[in-house]
Amino acid sequence: MHEMALMGEIVQLLEQDAINRKIDAITRVEVKVGTLSNVLPEALEMAFDAYKLQPTNRLTETAQLIIHIEQAKAVCVICGQEYEPASRIAQCPSCQFLGGRMIAGETFQLLAYEGS
Amino acid sequence: MRIELEVDVLTNNNRAAQFNRRLFEETKTLVINVMSSPGAGKTTLLEKTIEALSSEFRIGVIEGDLATEKDAERIRALGAQAIQINTHGGCHLDARMIAAVLPKFELDEIDLLFIENVGNLVCPSSYDLGQQHKVAVLSVPEGNDKIVKYPTMFMRTELVLVNKIDLLPYLDFDIVQAKEDLIGINPQSLLLPVSAKTGEGMDQWLRWIREGIAQWQKQ
Repeated sequence: MHEMALMGEIVQLLEQDAINRKIDAITRVEVKVGTLSNVLPEALEMAFDAYKLQPTNRLTETAQLIIHIEQAKAVCVICGQEYEPASRIAQCPSCQFLGGRMIAGETFQLLAYEGS
Repeated sequence: MRIELEVDVLTNNNRAAQFNRRLFEETKTLVINVMSSPGAGKTTLLEKTIEALSSEFRIGVIEGDLATEKDAERIRALGAQAIQINTHGGCHLDARMIAAVLPKFELDEIDLLFIENVGNLVCPSSYDLGQQHKVAVLSVPEGNDKIVKYPTMFMRTELVLVNKIDLLPYLDFDIVQAKEDLIGINPQSLLLPVSAKTGEGMDQWLRWIREGIAQWQKQ
């Protein structure tokens, strides 16, 4: 359960920021997950639900997790075509060249949160 | 109130990795993060490496495991300094765990520090520890298809050691295919076939380390 550790990182970042702003109750968290970031959205939701129930952080029990998915995109280094690779090993659909340069899909960001 | 952050989820880890990296630069310690699945032979490889290089370099090892001191004890038996980190179920080492144990080493007196990561081909690849080199060990019994099955690991390493080549006559591991697959996902990566057990191929790995240390200390 890699996502449990990653959610731990998110909760830590939220706590650091919320302390400074004197926010005691976090009601909504938004993240961006690339399709090739090795993060499973379902597992992330499960981890979020587990953290919500812990009294040691500022997430409220009804807090929502919004996951924005970033579609993977690669550029072929040979012919320059932009395409959506099916996996990490990007193969260009026009010239078949392997090893396209990834320009999107590897992101895993904490975008924003809401609280009071 | 809505607060926009737009930060990488691994921000705290990456900060700690930068801290470690600066320390390694100041003390001229070459740090190699060794990753593989469980049982690929990382500890045996390190034992043989320490035996071969201990007269030339001062070597330290950070051992990462879910539980027990077993690996650190194996390394200490060879006279090298070893610190064990138990992750208590965690699937990888992160840069903060490394930063926390660095004060236990006299880094000024260490030329070469190995970090033996938790056996896992997925999670350790996402965490920067501040190392200079990432090396993956892939053993013959695992099969050559692991390179394409776990691309996030093999896309980010500079060197793949194919270990246990003494078992090649008995198993179906295809080294030529492994090389081709690696070139496909990571053209810069080297692949060296070795057997830590018999010593075959180890001279090339030792040369790679010696060159790495020479280059690092020149900078």
